[in-house]
Amino acid sequence: MALSVEVIKAGLETSVQDFPGRYGFWEQGFPPSGPFDMWSFRLANVLVANGREAAGLECQFMGPTLRFLEDCVIAFTGAEMNPTLDGEVFPMWESVAVTAGQILACGFASIGARSYLAMSGGIDVPTVLGARATFHMAGVGGMEGHALKGGQSLSVGAGTGVPGRRVKQDCRPAITDNKEWQIEVVQGPNDDWISDDGIERFLTSEWKLQARSNRTGYRLEGPDWIFADKASAKGPEHGEHPSNILDHGYPVGSINLCGQTPIILVNDAPSAGGFINPFTVPSAAFWKLAQSKPNDIYRFRRVSVDEAQELRRSIDRLCVEESIA
Amino acid sequence: MIYDEPKFLPGGDRFVEMELGNELNFDLNFLVHSLSSKIREAEITGLIELLPNMSSIVISYDPDLISFSDLKREVLGHYHNMGSLEGMELLSPIYYIPVLYCDSVTRGCWEDYCAKIGEKEYDSDILVRLNNLDSYEQLARIHSGTEYWVAALGFYPGLASLIALDPRCRMTAPKYNPPRTWTAKGTIGYGGSVTCVYPANTPGGYQMIGHTPVPVCDIEQRLPAFKQDLALLRPGDRVRFFPVGQEEYDYVERRVVAGNYVHNMAHYAKFSIRAYHNWLKTLDMDERF
Amino acid sequence: MKFDTPKFMPGGDHFILVQFGDDARIDLNFMALGLTAAIKSAEVTGVVDTNPSYNSLVVEYESDDISYADLQTELTHLIDGLGSVDNLELESRLAYLPVVYLDPWTRECVADYSEKIAQRKYDPDFVADVNGFDDAKQLVRVHSGTEHWVVAVCSTPGLPLMRALDPRCAITSPKYNPPRTWTTLGAIGVGGLSTSIYTTPGPGGYNLIGRTPVPLWDPRQRHPIFKDRVVLLDAADRVKFVPISEEEFDYTEARVADGSYEFNITGYQRFSVGAYKKWVASLNQGGRF
Repeated sequence: MALSVEVIKAGLETSVQDFPGRYGFWEQGFPPSGPFDMWSFRLANVLVANGREAAGLECQFMGPTLRFLEDCVIAFTGAEMNPTLDGEVFPMWESVAVTAGQILACGFASIGARSYLAMSGGIDVPTVLGARATFHMAGVGGMEGHALKGGQSLSVGAGTGVPGRRVKQDCRPAITDNKEWQIEVVQGPNDDWISDDGIERFLTSEWKLQARSNRTGYRLEGPDWIFADKASAKGPEHGEHPSNILDHGYPVGSINLCGQTPIILVNDAPSAGGFINPFTVPSAAFWKLAQSKPNDIYRFRRVSVDEAQELRRSIDRLCVEESIA
Repeated sequence: MIYDEPKFLPGGDRFVEMELGNELNFDLNFLVHSLSSKIREAEITGLIELLPNMSSIVISYDPDLISFSDLKREVLGHYHNMGSLEGMELLSPIYYIPVLYCDSVTRGCWEDYCAKIGEKEYDSDILVRLNNLDSYEQLARIHSGTEYWVAALGFYPGLASLIALDPRCRMTAPKYNPPRTWTAKGTIGYGGSVTCVYPANTPGGYQMIGHTPVPVCDIEQRLPAFKQDLALLRPGDRVRFFPVGQEEYDYVERRVVAGNYVHNMAHYAKFSIRAYHNWLKTLDMDERF
Repeated sequence: MKFDTPKFMPGGDHFILVQFGDDARIDLNFMALGLTAAIKSAEVTGVVDTNPSYNSLVVEYESDDISYADLQTELTHLIDGLGSVDNLELESRLAYLPVVYLDPWTRECVADYSEKIAQRKYDPDFVADVNGFDDAKQLVRVHSGTEHWVVAVCSTPGLPLMRALDPRCAITSPKYNPPRTWTTLGAIGVGGLSTSIYTTPGPGGYNLIGRTPVPLWDPRQRHPIFKDRVVLLDAADRVKFVPISEEEFDYTEARVADGSYEFNITGYQRFSVGAYKKWVASLNQGGRF
């Protein structure tokens, strides 16, 4: 396969991802990885007529600078990174034909945090443990297990994309420069470890996203949690602190309470551990997490399992051809 | 305790946590893994993955193919159909892993945490204090005095959670709060009543009591022990640690680096639940190594 | 070689010898131990005692209760019932015995022999040479790396005659010629293909490589473990030696003396001959600890 794209500048933590990510190895400690804002990623693939499973690039905070060595149809979605093509403004949420020799450059995200670059034909890297998604901690998938580095070259498959397609405005996630978010949350699995007052406090407080947050975990700053009796009246094998529990699996999206530090477990998070998960962020809210920036404020809105599932379906219904004008 | 009826707790839109009990109980863990096998064999439509652990199983499912309540009903059905545990036996390999206890690598990691995140009592001192031990030597004697059952894989690729089969060797330890941002690969951790070997340089919260140069995970599958699987240990395996001095530690490390280290594993003993229960009855729980 | 059918021979008026073969292959011992277990569980009338060895079993019987011919018939029947040796599973405890290898007491014993009887090289160095090891440390690593199978308990009370289960750890060495007149109590000796532990300070011919502070028999039954048994180990048990320091030896010896020592024996496994053979076949014979 001819090498199609040269990485001039890698950007800040740009990685190859595929949807839905890595499955079947969770029990051996491999998280799903995959794109954080699945909604934007999937629409990028639809724009360039890629199959659902085609791999693309996830750009975080500042995207890469790439030189295309061959003609290609590409699309850039998600956060506003003010991309340019040979210095000219490059339109987001559209499929664009680039020709050999052209250079796509990105700046810092001015609105949102993560962007997605799909190339028609999909990025061709070996699948590792069933997926092309990058899990950097263990060094698997993507470009030799890690984020892009300057000087590397990407191979792209043969695609059937055509330029000039746009995602309808109301089919896109509403990424704005609003620094406050309402994040859906499902109560459980370990909500009974928190007192009623504690639950009330969680749902009515503001939670600040700490700077030390990334695809492994989103650390929140806020008031102390109040534990129910159950959190102390337990066997010693759970551990001393009220938030300690006998090791158990972590649903992806769990709000994992480590002592008094809640950490939302996202795409590259550990699969299990010994802290409680009183609430879980459902799939449909992941794009919001992905598009937030350090110091953004979260307020959590409780939804039922059924509501959360319906929200996810409604996003699924938008990641299709019908959303393209 | 083992619950009369397992609890099904929602985890967002796509996960369920099935709790079979709330304690560190070998029988319960054996039940978790037997049930997981059964569920896998049943190939329930819409069920994506299982994550069995100490006393619970997290199930990921596709809500477009199966609802929360249907999933619960099917899994509960399989649970009720399980036969008695007493008669079960399992061919269980045992791994012998050398450990340098109270070593300088983990001490360095603890010092780094104290300097950068917060002052904290030295890990082995915490274990000695909380478990009424008389010395680091007794800590090593007790930790290495029992076989460990691999109760779960998780947290990180290749990380196995080990529980002591000899109840006289069960100790307790709190976890780091907040957790460390890194742990040296090969660290022997102890948290709650679980011990583990860190398979790579990962964040972590267990107290660090020793170090082994033996690899337990090899994603590139270079050493012969990893030919079939990138992780050394699977649930149902057993591990036995043995204390070594710096000299032996260095020797093993040289061989790991040279690529000719031979893992010490014996695979010819059948673990019998009934025999285990009978053996437990012979133990004097007031005595210690 | 293994006999096509076992040979039966009278030993005086109240012993019968059953022989499965005439060499030291481990299968023959498995058969002998399998038959021993079968005799016990069948509770054959007239059988007084059994005494298994490398490739044979001596059965002591009461001739008033059963004739030689009937006993032979009964034993033949039990042997047929065992089926192929590969199907055998034997109750097998695993005892962890602490050992100071290359210890000062055996050094003294060897020095004494050199002075009074015949010059000889320090035993561990001698055995290391004979087996092509790098040095005595590798001998320790190899000897302690494998589980040892108790072939028989014989010669002196409680003395376990053992052989390495891991073929990569097989050690051979010629015995003392002439034998020693005394041996340190608790000395670990290797000779021929076997390892044994000296339970009396008497004469001996095995090469001395270490010493254990743990008693293997106690006619006065001072420890709780000797409440129901006179000797610690039985044939078909396994032993894993754990290298310890001299400080640890002194600590253990003190606890043995005051009666508080906790023996480390697990009793929840069954040894599967079939699994053992499969495991042996899977080993890279060139790889060594």
